[in-house]
Order: sequence, then structure tokens, then C-alpha cells
Amino acid sequence: MSQIDDTTVANLAKLSRIAVTEQETKSLQKDLSKILDFVELLDELDLEGCYLCNQIIKDHKHLMRDDVVKDLLPRDAFLKNAPDHMGGMVKVPPIIKKD
Amino acid sequence: MYEKTATELQHLFVSGQLSAVEITNYFLNRIENIDKKIGSFLQLFPERTLRKAKELDEKKKSGGKLGKLAGIPIAIKDNIHIKGERTTCASKLLANYEALFDATSTRLLEEEDAILIGKTNLDEFAMGGATEYSAFLKTHNPWNLACTPGGSSGGSAAAVAARLAPLSIGSDTGGSVRQPASYCGLVGYKPTYGRISRYGLVAFGSSLDQIGPFAYTTQDMALIAEVLGVHCPHDSNSLNHPKENIQGQLKQDLKGVRVGVPYHFLTNLSDEMKKSFDASISVLKNLGAEIIEINLKVLKYAMPTYYIIATAEASTNLARFDGIRYGNRNQYAMTLDEVYDLTREHGFGAEVKRRIILGTSVLSSGFSGSYYKKALGARGRILDAFTTSFESCDLVVMPTAPTPAFETGSIQDPVSMYLMDLYTVHANLTGLPAISVPSGFAQNGNPIGFQMIAKHRQDGFLIGCAHAFEQARPENIQIPSIAKEAV
Repeated sequence: MSQIDDTTVANLAKLSRIAVTEQETKSLQKDLSKILDFVELLDELDLEGCYLCNQIIKDHKHLMRDDVVKDLLPRDAFLKNAPDHMGGMVKVPPIIKKD
Repeated sequence: MYEKTATELQHLFVSGQLSAVEITNYFLNRIENIDKKIGSFLQLFPERTLRKAKELDEKKKSGGKLGKLAGIPIAIKDNIHIKGERTTCASKLLANYEALFDATSTRLLEEEDAILIGKTNLDEFAMGGATEYSAFLKTHNPWNLACTPGGSSGGSAAAVAARLAPLSIGSDTGGSVRQPASYCGLVGYKPTYGRISRYGLVAFGSSLDQIGPFAYTTQDMALIAEVLGVHCPHDSNSLNHPKENIQGQLKQDLKGVRVGVPYHFLTNLSDEMKKSFDASISVLKNLGAEIIEINLKVLKYAMPTYYIIATAEASTNLARFDGIRYGNRNQYAMTLDEVYDLTREHGFGAEVKRRIILGTSVLSSGFSGSYYKKALGARGRILDAFTTSFESCDLVVMPTAPTPAFETGSIQDPVSMYLMDLYTVHANLTGLPAISVPSGFAQNGNPIGFQMIAKHRQDGFLIGCAHAFEQARPENIQIPSIAKEAV
């Protein structure tokens, strides 16, 4: 059985940058415990001498492009989707407070 | 016109029997009338669609060279970009997001003169198996409106099944094209990892995601697969593999093809599904295939492996949706921390939050053992088992899904929902090309699918074998009654 308590869920939510209500914490605690019990099936697999599979297609070379600046996305176009912007830059709430 | 395959429609257009505007108006009208009951489309942009159709008619009039998909309406899953239109991923967070560039796949379709007809519904960020987790609407299965069309590409599947478009594209991270194809009685294909570019597809699990089409027939599938299967420098995992002539590989029989069946993995099938599967095996035998039992016992671990890797990658990929550069920023957020926390709390639905938090947990150091490393080890074992099996066979077959389409809302428990992907996730973990072909109907009238899996880079061979299977059982291709209603 996976031991997931409310504090663990709250901590994971914090790491995930998602605010959660008390009720959501309860239901997440229940769901995550079930899901983690399910993935614990992997514990019975003997992985002695296994390799970590990061590449599934043999002989495939990841494409790298030259490190050259290109104007692929004009600033005006980019700012269309920004929630808030000013003077051609994305605006965010103040990070350092005036004292 | 709705009875025509994509290939037939293209001929009707090229031979001058139908104009692109006529075809477009016909399908837009069908969508307006029939889709109220099905809910497959999230957005239409009739002005753009008709403008493109007019341009195509003018190009034809002036004798311009017409593309392979000329005049064929195609529906696009709403996690794939069409420049200037919204890409919502069925999420409140991206409800107003405008795509700034074309996905390679939509660009390639338009370069071959296809008509992009609308954006289809999905589970939010493609996470789900029933299209119930869309923030905007539920999609119903055209074969039975009380049932799910499957997911996450449920809108793309339902649109084609209801004959609202002859072709559509979706994305398949753990079965999200093949499973809805089987639930809706369609052909659904997941290419070899890297065969179709993901540039312009909103990422979910980057080592698993592939774009894949839905079609009525394998002939239509061959047509669109040829167009989409090209190398793309904008996707670092794009295969540098030459374009294939897939239509030239369609087979009439399966003589000399060795088909592997992992019988031990199929022991939990219901009597009805087992009977259907056995009947499909008989079809393969009659076509001349040699049936071999193969050992894929390690597939027992594919589900947990998949859910660890998929959620880990999702939690990383979805970190970008923080309300800073795009997306609906929460209006009550006063501090930077609140911008992140509240935007994500209110922007994401329950399943997306569950997966992000699960992904965060499997990646956390020291948390309940190192799940992620174990999953990568298991992934290697699964890949090795397939490689060994493919030494003795050319094709692996199994059902696409454990059941036909189930009633919408009938599965509430997340683990039970995940288990619906039992037969599909391994093709994503291994990157192998896989296809679901209609193989008959359950007693309640819902379609059943049959899955074929081939070696890496053998997409043409795979679709070719599926064609032989389909040709042997033409009665498996049917049109649901809702599609036949007069509009």
C-alpha cells in the first residue's frame, strides 16, 4: 500500500504549482494512492542489469539545428497571446515590493 | 456524397463532377445539422474554409496542378495548430489561444489541397480515454449516443464516423487514435515514432506522442499517411527516412506473412471479444498468413510503465502553462506566485491536475523508490521483448481495446479508465507503428477493432497488411444510422 497522506499531497501540489482546496486534497489523496498501488506492480519485475531506455528507435540521430538567431516569431504576433504586456514586453505582478 | 471515401471524393473533384465549394458547403451543412447530437467539433471557421475552397476551384480552373488530397475536407484535433485559428486543447487555460504558426501536419495537408474543415473535441490536453474530460463539451459515439466515442481523439473519430468529414487527424500518446477508431468503426493509425512530425502539436508525453489519422478505409489511410510521412527539421525526433509509396504496398493476401499472437496476454478477454478476435485470426489464416504464438509476458508491466513515463513527461511539458506568456491568467492573482498557482488551479481540469501531480510525485527524489528509473528499465525490457518476437514474425496482432465503447460516465475510477489502454500503450512505449481496423460488431451494435503492430519504419507494410484484412471482410465497414439521416 502506498502511504500518501494529506501533507504529501499538499507538498506535491505545491511542487506542481497548483493551488488545491481541502476537498481536492482528499480526492487526490485517494486517487494517487490507488494509482501508485497500481504502478507498484513494477516492483516484482527483476531489473537487474537492465538499461534505461531513452532511445526507442535504433540508429535515429536527434536533429540539432545550428545555434543561429532567426526571426521565426515576430514580437507583435507573440504578444497577441500574452495575458498582459507593456512596451513590447510581457507584464507580470511586482516581484520585489517597495517598502 | 457522405458515402464517398476520401479517394473517391478527390476523383470527383479532379474530374470536375464536384467543385470544392460544393463539397465544403455540403459537409458544413451536415456538421450544422448532425453535430448538435454528437458534439465532435469545438470550432468551425466557415469563412476561412470557404475561402480556401474557392481558391482551390480557381486553381483548378486555371489549370494548376492539383494535390493528392484535393477537395477532401479534413477535421483537425484541437491540439494541433492551424495558423490564425484557436488551439484550445479543450482546456479553459487555452480557451483564447491563437496559433501563431501552422503545424507541419496541417501545412502538408493544405499543400496537397485538402480543405481543413474544423477543430475537433478531445480530452483536455489529450489526457483521457472517453473525451469526457474536455472542458467544453462531451462527444457522443455516432453508433450509440449513450456511449463514448473513446479518447482522447474522440472528436476526430466521431466526426469521421458520422461522416462529417472523410478524414481527420488526432494524436496518439497511449492509444488515443487507435482506441477511438475501434470504438467508432474506423481505421486509426499510429505511425512509427518520428514518422509524422509533431511540430505544432501541443506536447503531452514527448517520447510517446505521435500524430495519427482516422479514415473509413485503409486505401484512404494509405493516401493521407503518404502525405504526412515526411521528414521535418522542426521536430528533433523526426525520422530521417525517405517518403514511402504506401498506396503501392496495399496487399491482396497475406501469403508468407508470419503473424505473432501473444495468447497469454489475452486471457482476460470477455467471451464476445475473444470470439471476435478468433474470427479475425481465421481471416488472417484464410489470407495465407502463418500464425505463431509469441511470448510477450512482459506486457503485463506496460500499463504501470506507461503511466509513470507519460505523467512524468506531462508534468514537465505542462509546466509552461503558467499564465505568464500565454493562456488565461487568473484575474485575482496579485503576486507572481498566485499567478502560477491560481492560473493552474482554475485553468486545468481534475484529470490534468491528477496527472501533473502524479508526474511530479514519480519524479520527486526519494519519493517511494525511484519509479521513473524503474519505468525506463521496464520500457527497455518491453522493447527487447518485441525485438525478439519480431525475429520470428513480421506482424503482431491483438485486440485494440478490451471492450467495445462503454457508456459515457460509467467509469469513474481513474485506474479502471487507464486499463482501457491495456492493448495500446506498448506501441507508444516502443515506438512501433500500429493500426486499428474494424473487425465486426458486438451484440449491442457497437463496433470492435483489431490491432496490427509492425517493426519500426514498416508503416507501409503495416497499412498494406491491414488492407488485405479489410478487403477480406468488407462487411466490417458500415455507416451508423445517424449519418444516414436526411439533413
